[in-house]
Amino acid sequence: MDPMEALVAQIQGLSSTPGDIARLHIILKQADDSLRAESTRLSPVLGQLAPSEHSLGFLYVLDAFTSGQISKQQAETSVPIITGFINACNAEQIRLAPEKFVLVCKRLKDQVMMLEAPIRGVGPLLTAARKLQLSTEHLTPLHSDFLMLCVLAKCYKTGLSILEDDIFEVDQPRDLFLYCYYGGMICIGLKRFQKALDLLHNVVTAPMSTLNAIAVEAYKKYILVSLIHHGQWQLSTSLPKYASSVAQRSLKNFCQPYIELANSYGTEKIAELEAYVQTNTEKFENDNNLGLVKQVVLSMYKRNIQRLTQTYLTLSLQDIANTVQLNSPKEAEMHVLQMIQDGEIYATINQRDGMVRFLEDPEQYKTCEMIENIDSSIQRIMALSRKLSAMDEQISCDQLYLSKVGRERQRYDFDDFDVPTKFNI
Amino acid sequence: MDLSRVRELLESKSYDKVADICDNLMLQVASDGIAYHDDWPYSIHLLAHIYVHDINSARFLWKSIPSSVKESQPEVTAVWKIGQRLWLRDYAEVHEAIRGYEWSQDLQGLVAAFSELYTKKMFQLLLSAYSTISIQDTASFLGMNEDDATNYVLQHGWTVDPASQMFTVKKQPIVTEQKLDPSKLQRLTEYVFHLEH
Repeated sequence: MDPMEALVAQIQGLSSTPGDIARLHIILKQADDSLRAESTRLSPVLGQLAPSEHSLGFLYVLDAFTSGQISKQQAETSVPIITGFINACNAEQIRLAPEKFVLVCKRLKDQVMMLEAPIRGVGPLLTAARKLQLSTEHLTPLHSDFLMLCVLAKCYKTGLSILEDDIFEVDQPRDLFLYCYYGGMICIGLKRFQKALDLLHNVVTAPMSTLNAIAVEAYKKYILVSLIHHGQWQLSTSLPKYASSVAQRSLKNFCQPYIELANSYGTEKIAELEAYVQTNTEKFENDNNLGLVKQVVLSMYKRNIQRLTQTYLTLSLQDIANTVQLNSPKEAEMHVLQMIQDGEIYATINQRDGMVRFLEDPEQYKTCEMIENIDSSIQRIMALSRKLSAMDEQISCDQLYLSKVGRERQRYDFDDFDVPTKFNI
Repeated sequence: MDLSRVRELLESKSYDKVADICDNLMLQVASDGIAYHDDWPYSIHLLAHIYVHDINSARFLWKSIPSSVKESQPEVTAVWKIGQRLWLRDYAEVHEAIRGYEWSQDLQGLVAAFSELYTKKMFQLLLSAYSTISIQDTASFLGMNEDDATNYVLQHGWTVDPASQMFTVKKQPIVTEQKLDPSKLQRLTEYVFHLEH
């Protein structure tokens, strides 16, 4: 009997109970090399297997089948096979060989990009990530690929579905960096700036021993989005203590034009800011950040109007136009109107007198909705705090950690004993 | 390509659900490897995003439409014109864009529903943002002629000053649910108790 036929028979026979599947897994691992050697004649083998029943076996064969370099034409036939498999496969079986599954999915990503049709991979990769993860708190290596395809295919809203989960488990640091970076881009596209800031902040403050390009690009966007959303950005307060020392030390060196932009924004003078952007257009364009930079410039009008609300109770449209350097009272009226619509200021416009009256925030924090909001925030914080103490406990029982801490303490005691002058002031 | 679900929603006037269904269907069709661009109901899809005021999604959808489709289907371009006006906040121009095209049978219901919704939204915006506003501006915001606009706002209790051609806006008290369910209060009490002890 042909060894391939024998293998097919084994896959078909050993795919029902967990015990059988474990045995099959051992057989498949042994057959892996010979499968790869046969990669060109595996197409009929796939036809003999059912992706939903024989998922593990199908995965091994599919991995071997797609392992070689392929042409655009071949991708056209292999993409439907992979997507069909992802949709049909049994989650428990593929989780036995997660690396292989990830590998196959990444090939799908490469192939749809080769076909210049990223949208073809969006749905399958979402399904794949959901099947692979043990809980929604688990970040799989497929998350970032999914988000990247979403950006390329302009399916931003679809990307949001996965960004709403809180992530607590990460396999590889790189996964987290890319997930947060692409996630940040998606939120920027949908103008969810607060969420974008959170994600980009995770990139720049994540532990890292050497600086990486993802963090640098994230930092640039982080500065811009801070300006758009908060109207300020300060070097001294931008990175918290828990950020890695390499990020604290050298990130800013790679983002000089952005830091200067932030400084220029700080002057509150629109002409100065525009001039700065004008002279540095090329730099921002090369980083693909020019669109965001333009939003930064526009946001300054808003910021300056918002600042007026802190000083005045009523102000004429003409005065607003003069102070924030708009061309006419009508233009000022439109700016104020947009800001009222977006809930960025509270005011009423009196067209007859050409005046704007600034009001207090009407929120009194006593509606049911607000209580619901506060309550859910408290619940989330409590859940987070529980997670933190669980992790703390886990680490304090960890053998490696304890031995390291134990050694250090000894050394400290020794120093302490030996050099008492050190503590003199 | 099975668009029966979209048709059903349009017929039952569940316009707010159309965008999500279209999004999912498009991903599905794309992953099945079907060349969908020429037959896809882009105008419905685009307008459905606009209907739920998701201008960002409408914008990204527009960007992803192949230029051949934009050229061969003028209705898609006409729908985007509405989206573009909304994006640029040319409030009055939105009405112009709605009126400026002879909509096909498929789209008429959705366009009419959006137009009505948009007029209501504009009225709410004027209500929240103005204390006095000219008749002319009111009319262009609401997309009506001055007489219709006057009738519309007078019904809502606004008053008109013929000398200055200005309306005085009558604010409506906003009613919000403030009654608290006792279990919530109990929970908040527990938190505070926990923090203090």
